[in-house]
Amino acid sequence: MGKKLYDLAFGRAGDKGNISNISVIARSSEAYAEIKTKLTAERVKAHFGDMVKGDVVRYELDNIEALNFVLYDALDGGGTRSLRVDTLGKSLAGALLYMDWE
Amino acid sequence: MTYRIGSAQGYYGDDVTRALPMITGEHVDVVCFEALAELTLAILQKDRLGNPDKGYTFDIRIIASSILPEAFARKIPLITNGGGLNPISAAKMVYQTAQKLGLHGLKIAAVTGDDLMPVIFDLPAKGESLTNLDTGENLDFEHGGMLVNANVYIGAQPIVEALKAGADIVITGRVADPCLYLAPLIAHYGWDWADWDKLASGIVCGHLLECTGQVVGGNSLAVIDTIPATDLHRLGYPIAHVEADGSFIITKTPNTAGIVNTNTVKEQLIYEIHDPANYLTPDVIANFTTLKLEQIGENQVKVSGVTGKPRPEKLKLVMGRLEGYMRELIFTVGYPQAWKKVDIMKQMIESTWQDLAIDRIEYSYLGMNSLYGGISELPQDPPEIAIRVMFTAKDEDTLKNAVRLMMTNGLSGPAGMGISGSTVSASPRAILGLWSTLVNRDYVVPNIDFMTVE
Repeated sequence: MGKKLYDLAFGRAGDKGNISNISVIARSSEAYAEIKTKLTAERVKAHFGDMVKGDVVRYELDNIEALNFVLYDALDGGGTRSLRVDTLGKSLAGALLYMDWE
Repeated sequence: MTYRIGSAQGYYGDDVTRALPMITGEHVDVVCFEALAELTLAILQKDRLGNPDKGYTFDIRIIASSILPEAFARKIPLITNGGGLNPISAAKMVYQTAQKLGLHGLKIAAVTGDDLMPVIFDLPAKGESLTNLDTGENLDFEHGGMLVNANVYIGAQPIVEALKAGADIVITGRVADPCLYLAPLIAHYGWDWADWDKLASGIVCGHLLECTGQVVGGNSLAVIDTIPATDLHRLGYPIAHVEADGSFIITKTPNTAGIVNTNTVKEQLIYEIHDPANYLTPDVIANFTTLKLEQIGENQVKVSGVTGKPRPEKLKLVMGRLEGYMRELIFTVGYPQAWKKVDIMKQMIESTWQDLAIDRIEYSYLGMNSLYGGISELPQDPPEIAIRVMFTAKDEDTLKNAVRLMMTNGLSGPAGMGISGSTVSASPRAILGLWSTLVNRDYVVPNIDFMTVE
């Protein structure tokens, strides 16, 4: 398997209603500089395709070398409505970290 | 003097007995139990509909019988929002249990006022639009499902009062998660309600503690390669050592399993937040982007430099509405021509149900694309495919009928299919739509009832 975002970072996903948030926490300062430049909100939105119907907003936490992505309309209606296996989207951090990284 | 907060519950059903080693070892000055996820109140409403004395989390029974005697003996107060929709009945149950256990002089406080069901239908006439925070839609009480609950996220203030009045256990409803942990800090240190940086520090502290196992190595990619799998079911739950200036150390119960390092703290810090510079709570807006993390010892991470801004004008209200029911069936097909059999099944399902009032049908393939959807590449000619079918209707009977009709196809379907008996005998599950909005603080008047065990 080629290089993945997971090689540079780890993270955790959480939910509020139909909104998912995914942290991307860099494994080093060099990795943070790289993902801060390349891992744009547009790229994350494109990666998720149909799974995320709304906007993706990126927040930066330079103090802990991490990014926070907020994905709107991302959980098939939210934890109590979703027909997905993972109704709360706990696995979505993994889905993002699965991104191919050149 | 450092003040120590233990956290022994992160959701309804968590193992609250992890409080015991904190208490018997005298490692804490207070223990908080956070029991309410977004949908928990809607679930508790089902209990209350069946019995007006219910509607609180059953974990409080365990807290009352197993933990309270040890805590009371050491004068360590307990705080829980597991009173859910019925803190008063929960308090009465605790009272009866404490009386049987002979906990004379135990003071119980029940905090109410978060439940807006009694006034909710009057609010639009008073100018509250109840606009959906996420979608911008206006609320229509006539359509969109039966209203199940309407609870406001309230802040730390009534808990602070209860603690100052000497409560040994404080039972609340929908207090915002981190405010449960902020409250004992305000009561202990006497922080001013406008000392935004200190209040924000208390909120960040609560946010880090409120998911128990998640800051000590649970649900973590940071320590997946270092934490022993046999430790995960017995993690020592987290404790914060907080100073008067608001800075604090996150650690865990001494001599228990788990890992606390800057990475486990980072994972929990960004868990379920949106804008990290504006984390909204009823008591303060916390800024997570100015803080500093330092590993100062084994399983000890110091957090300092949190800043805050004045509390938001309005409070968050979440309503639950019953929108219908959902049901799951799993069919597993194998080689040869597994994808062809998937197509056959989909067409059979849709033609079998064509006269039923089924609202949605969704398919996924377990182990292939059920988590990551279109991100996953599907294999070309696999040995097996598990087809998960999810379908919804307004009523349960339609779903039961749909399952029965599918089972009449038993000898007519694609060749060599496995159907798990447990999916066939399962029951429909309610679909609860959550509606988040903002309301004026004036409608929310917290109240405290005290009971003292004779």
